[in-house]
Amino acid sequence: MIKSEYIAKLKKIVGKESVLSSKEDLTAYSYDATTTWAHMPDVVVLPTTSKQVSQILKLADEDKIPVTPRGGGTNVSGGSIPIKGGIVLCTTKMNKILEINKANLHAIVEPGVVLQDFNTVLAKQGLFFPPDPQSFLGCTMGGVVAENAGGPCCLKYGVTKQYTLGLEVVLANGYIMKIGGLTTKNRTGYELAMLFTGSEGTLGVITKITLRLLPMPPASKTIMAVYDDMAIAGEAISSILSNGVIPSKIEFIDNWGIRRIEELTPMDLPVEANALLLLESDGIQTAVEAEAQQIAHICKRSGAKGITLAKDQAEADRLWKARSGCFGAVFSAARTVLSEDIAVPRDKIPQFIQSCEEISRKYGVVIPLIGHAGDGNMHPSVLTDQRDTEHFGEARKAMDEIFETALSLGGVLSGEHGIGLEKQRFLKKAMDPVAIEIMKKIKGILDPNNILNPGKIWEEEA
Amino acid sequence: MAIETKFEEIKRFESDLEQCIKCGFCTFCCPVYQEEHIESSVARGKNMLIRALLAGDLEYTKEFADHLNKCTLCMACTENCPAKAQIPNVIVAARADKVRVKGVSFPYNIIYQWLLPHRTFFGNTVRFASWFQGIFMPKAEGNIRHLSFFLSALGKGRHIPEIAPRFLRQTVPIVNQPPAGVKTKIKVGYFTGCMTDFVFPDLGKHIINFLSKNGVEVIVPKKQGCCGAPVFLGAGDFATGRKLADTNVKAFEHVDYIISDCATCTSALKDYPQFLADTPERIEAYAKFADKVYDISQFLIDVLKLPTSAYRPSVEARGKKVTWHDPCHLSRHLGIKSQPRQIIQSIPDMRYIEMADANRCCGMAGTFSLYYYELSKKIADKKMQAVKATGADIVATSCPGCMIQLIDGAIRNGMPVRVMHIMELLD
Repeated sequence: MIKSEYIAKLKKIVGKESVLSSKEDLTAYSYDATTTWAHMPDVVVLPTTSKQVSQILKLADEDKIPVTPRGGGTNVSGGSIPIKGGIVLCTTKMNKILEINKANLHAIVEPGVVLQDFNTVLAKQGLFFPPDPQSFLGCTMGGVVAENAGGPCCLKYGVTKQYTLGLEVVLANGYIMKIGGLTTKNRTGYELAMLFTGSEGTLGVITKITLRLLPMPPASKTIMAVYDDMAIAGEAISSILSNGVIPSKIEFIDNWGIRRIEELTPMDLPVEANALLLLESDGIQTAVEAEAQQIAHICKRSGAKGITLAKDQAEADRLWKARSGCFGAVFSAARTVLSEDIAVPRDKIPQFIQSCEEISRKYGVVIPLIGHAGDGNMHPSVLTDQRDTEHFGEARKAMDEIFETALSLGGVLSGEHGIGLEKQRFLKKAMDPVAIEIMKKIKGILDPNNILNPGKIWEEEA
Repeated sequence: MAIETKFEEIKRFESDLEQCIKCGFCTFCCPVYQEEHIESSVARGKNMLIRALLAGDLEYTKEFADHLNKCTLCMACTENCPAKAQIPNVIVAARADKVRVKGVSFPYNIIYQWLLPHRTFFGNTVRFASWFQGIFMPKAEGNIRHLSFFLSALGKGRHIPEIAPRFLRQTVPIVNQPPAGVKTKIKVGYFTGCMTDFVFPDLGKHIINFLSKNGVEVIVPKKQGCCGAPVFLGAGDFATGRKLADTNVKAFEHVDYIISDCATCTSALKDYPQFLADTPERIEAYAKFADKVYDISQFLIDVLKLPTSAYRPSVEARGKKVTWHDPCHLSRHLGIKSQPRQIIQSIPDMRYIEMADANRCCGMAGTFSLYYYELSKKIADKKMQAVKATGADIVATSCPGCMIQLIDGAIRNGMPVRVMHIMELLD
C-alpha cells in the first residue's frame, strides 16, 4: 500500500481532483475489457501535461512504485490492469488534438484523444488514419500506439506502426524524450519510435504522438459473400489476394456470429449461412466499381452461395454494423470469454478454420470464429464460465491447442491485441529465447527499477 | 440483512448487471464521462462498483451513493452498448436498495416522502415559495427569476421560470369538451405533471385547446399526483413511488388514453411495471395503466392521425427557424423520435433545422441537476453550442424539465434563442 504522504505529493503535482484514492475509484480502475483479470491499484492519477507525467514517474522511480499507464481501458489482453498495484497513470485528461497538417499529411495528438473523436475531426478535413481497432469508440491514441493496434483496414493499409512518425515519451526516470519526427522517411539512427510502438506501456509513457495521415478515399463499395462451408470461405480469401486484388477489408463471420448478431440486432443477415465474408474496396469511384465487380466475380467462382453488393452507403453501413456488433455478440454470450487474436499466413486460413472446428468438438466447447481474415488475423473465442472449474479447464485446453495450431501453421500469438497478461504463458513457445532475453535487457536499460507496467508480456521467473 | 433482501431490486436486473462486457464503448456517449473523464462516471464503472457491492467488497458509503447519483439515466450507454446491457436500470435498482437499507437523506426525505405525495400541500408550498420569490428575488430576465428560498436550496442559483400565480388545475375544468360544432372523436385523460401544473399552466391550457379543437375530449382528473420520477427513479424511493403510482392509476382508471406533455412523466408512468410492480395486483394494474400512456406528439401522429393541415404555426413560431431537442426520456426510453419531427416539419411558414446530436442529454435529469449543478451546466453548454450552430430562433422540445435547463443555458450563454414546447409551436 502507498503511504498517505505519497498521495499528498501526487496531489501537489496534478491537483487534488486528479488523484483518486477512494475504494470505489480504485475498484473502477482495477479492470479493463479483458474478462479474466483484475487487480486494485493503490492510487489513480490523471495528469494533464507531459511535465506532470515526468514528475509522477520521478516520484515513483525513487520509491520503486509500479506505474500502469492506462487510457480508455479497452485493452483485451490485460495490458492496462495494475497487476502489481501501485499507481494507475490514466491519460484520459490529456485529450487534445494539437495539430492537423493537411499539407504535410500529419497530425499531433495527446495520448488521451479517443480514436473516434480523432477520426471525426479528420473526416471533416477529408483526412484518414487507417488503423481501426473495433474499440474505436473508447480506445485512446496512447493505447493505439502502445498496443500497435490493427483492425479491418490493416489488410490494405497496415497497422499503427506504419503511421507512427514520432513520439514524445516520458522515461521511467522522468526524462521527457522526443524521438522520430514529422517526415515519412527518417533514417536517423535506430528506429526508436518503433520500439515504443507496441511496447504495451512497459518502456515509457507516451505523451505526444505524431501520426502520418492519408487523404480519405473518395469512394468505397461493400460486398457480402455467403458460404455454405467455412473452409471454402477461407480459401476464397487467398483467391482474391492471389488474383491481384487487395480490398481494404476482408472480414470473416461464422454461423454462430451471424445468428448471435441477428439475435441482438435483427438486420436480415443470412442466418442459415455457415460463413460470410464482408469485403470492402475503396479508392477512386471508377476503380472501386471495377474492383468490386472483380471481387464479386472471384467470390462467386470460389463457391459463394450468394453475393450482395451494397447499393448505397446506408446498406454498407448496415453490413459493417453487423461486423462491429461481433465484439458485443461474442463477449456477451458467456460469463467468461477467452478471446484470442492469433494471426496465420493467409493461405493457411482454411486449415486453421478446420482445426478450430475439430478443437471445438474435441473439448465440447463453443468456439465462435470471427476475424480480419484478409490479413490472417482471426479471433477465435472460447465461451466458458470461470466459476465452472471443469468447463473452464477444458476451455483453457482448447485455447492452448488453438495457439499450438496457429504457431504450427507459421502464425503468431497475437495479431493486434498484444501479449499483456492473457498470452504471456505462451510467449516462450512463440519467441526465440534469446529474443526474449534481449527484450528484458532493453526493459532493464529503460526502466531499471521495473516500475513501468510490471508483470506484463513475459512471465516472471519464479 | 441477508444478501437476497439487501439487494432485492438489483437482483431483478441481474441479467443487465452481468451483461456488461466491460468494453468501455459507453465512455464515448456518456455525457457525464465526457466532462469528467473518470471511470466511475460511466456505465461500465458504475456497473463494476455495483458488482463489487454485491460481492461484499464495497458498502453503501456516501461516496458510493455519490457514484449512483451521478448519472442522468439518459440511456445513451444502452443505445450504444454492443451487449445491450441496460445499466441505468441497474443504477435505479441500486438506488432503491440503498434507500431500503439506508433511507433517504435530509432534506430530500421531506420533499420526496412528504411533499410530492401530497399534491395540494405541495402546491401550496410552492406557492408560498413563489411569494417569497416575488419579495426577495429581483426579476432577472422577463419572467425568469432566480428560484427563491425553498427551491433555491435545491436549485443553487439556477435561472428558472417564475412559479405561476395560478396553477393549471385550478383554472381548467375536469371535463373539457370540444367546442360546439366539433364532433368528439376520442376521450383522453391529461396527465399534467408538476411542471406544467405549477410553472407552465399556459402550456397546459394551450394543449387542452388544441386537442378539443381537434375533436378530443380532455379529462383533467383532480386526484392525479406527481409521476414519481424524482422519487423512484431519482432517489430510489420505491415505497413512496408506489403510493404515487397507485394514486395515478386510480385517477385515470376511467379513460382509455392518457396523454402527457412531459417526456419524463410519460416515461416514468410507463416505468411503473418495470420498477414498482411488487404484487400481482400491481403487476396487472400498472401494466394496464402503462399501456394507456402516450406522449403528446406520439398521440397526435399515431392515434389521432391529424391531417397535415391541422398543424398551423402559432403567432410566436410563424416565420421562425426552429430546431428540436430530443428529451432522453422520449427518444431513448420510449423510442419516440420521428413523431415530433413529423409534426414540426408539417407546420407551414416555419423552417426546421436539425441540430447536431439532437438526442444528446441536456444535463437536467431532475435530481441530478440539483446534486451536481456545475456538472449539469457543463453538459448543457454542449447542447447550447449545438443549438447555436443551427442559428435557430426557437429550440423546441417536449419536456418541461429540459425546457428549464435550456432556458437556463440560453440565459447563461447570452443566447437570444427562445425555448418552447413543441405544442406551443402549434396554433
